Amino acid sequence: MSQLKIVVVLIVSILLQLSLRGVWQPLSYVDFPLVVVVYIALQRDAWQALLVGTLAGLIVDAASGGLVGAGGFSKTLTAYIIYFAATRVNLENPLLRIPVLAASSLLDSAIYVFWHRVLNYPPVAPLMQTMSYKLIATTVVGTVMLYLLDALVAERSSQRRQFATRRRVARRSTGPLRRR
Amino acid sequence: MASVRTQREIRQRAPIWLVGLLVTNLVIMAVDARDADGRQKVLRIWTQTFASPLQNASSKATGATSGFFRQIWNFRSTAVENEQLKQRLSEVETELHTARQAAAENDRLKALLNLNEQTNIKNVPARVIARDPSVWFNTITINRGSSSGVEPNMPVVTPGGVVGRVITVSPWASQVMLITDEKAGAGAVVGQLGESGALGSIRGRADLNVALIEMRYVSGLEKVEVGDYVMTTGQDGIYPPGLNVGKVVDVKSGTATTAHQILIQPGAQLDHLEEVAVLLYHPPPRSMPEQTPQNPERTRR
Repeated sequence: MSQLKIVVVLIVSILLQLSLRGVWQPLSYVDFPLVVVVYIALQRDAWQALLVGTLAGLIVDAASGGLVGAGGFSKTLTAYIIYFAATRVNLENPLLRIPVLAASSLLDSAIYVFWHRVLNYPPVAPLMQTMSYKLIATTVVGTVMLYLLDALVAERSSQRRQFATRRRVARRSTGPLRRR
Repeated sequence: MASVRTQREIRQRAPIWLVGLLVTNLVIMAVDARDADGRQKVLRIWTQTFASPLQNASSKATGATSGFFRQIWNFRSTAVENEQLKQRLSEVETELHTARQAAAENDRLKALLNLNEQTNIKNVPARVIARDPSVWFNTITINRGSSSGVEPNMPVVTPGGVVGRVITVSPWASQVMLITDEKAGAGAVVGQLGESGALGSIRGRADLNVALIEMRYVSGLEKVEVGDYVMTTGQDGIYPPGLNVGKVVDVKSGTATTAHQILIQPGAQLDHLEEVAVLLYHPPPRSMPEQTPQNPERTRR
């Protein structure tokens, strides 16, 4: 995946995160940057996953009322754990991505809240309810997002599209009309 | 072969990068958490300065997108009409909508101006440009900062009542902690200040699903009823006295030895904030505690 695509996807996800709460409150439960971080980590690109995790977390923290760095910390650690799992277990199956997304949402929330509690800065939202809603929303929307990212952004799918086009062109050139 | 080596190198170096980035985040977090409440956080000013243009842009983009969809919706609702009429109708509807929005905005701004006369405190009207992107906190960002005279701990209000207080100020934007936040305390009284003795303090409640405020330490001997208005007392050194906080929606009566448990519905519509006013209020300096009288015994010696 080219770096430019990653930057574009990251910017779009952050803008969605910043703006959608103003449109409809429940949309704030979807963690768009986390889905992007999970996607890059599943591509087994450690450096990009870690960097994107840190950047996405820090930017959202900057606009949030929480501690700056807590989101960066949680997303970086989540990215590494998913990368670590992806290098040892095959997580290519789209169905397996659903539990991965759910686990990443849970892990990210747990680390985020843990640091806020440790540093005496408890979040205002009720813990279990917010974690559950966030898990459900991020998993549902994230599954669709991962599918879209796979179809639009991944190198493999673009290679597959190029191959299909070439094959179509080749078939046309060797068709019965052309042979005559 | 070369790519295998690179992959191995990446795998070997990943834990080092992880530790480096985690330590960086931890240091940033520690610096941000170190500054006590009420003091201006240096890190926050910087992050707010960089984040506010992004928030402004996203706020404008959201407005434009929702406007676009609203227009599409308007077109759909007039689909039964003929093509010309539909076109005209949609134009008129759009104009009407814009005019209504302008009128509503005008009313809100007029009400904000009236606040100036009511409270006799100079205020700065501001627009809410963003809400907290994280679900864990409930702050808002307004488009006025230190360049407009806004300072930390200044109260933010609407004609409906108190919204919260400024916690971080950058040159062109400020972050506001809502009155429903657990840390946002204020001195308040049920009823009119000077007439009622039902004094207490208010603060947000994290465990409640709805945005309500809890009022504590009100003596169980005082008469408090559902529907009573709650006002600020000015004793907290942040909010001026006499600002409307909200209305009592639930009272669990106390006794002579226990306090009432009171829940208040905020007067300001905190879920639909668009324009607010920052009161340029500086609380009067607190008088120093009187000096202890000298011990005559010791003086004699």
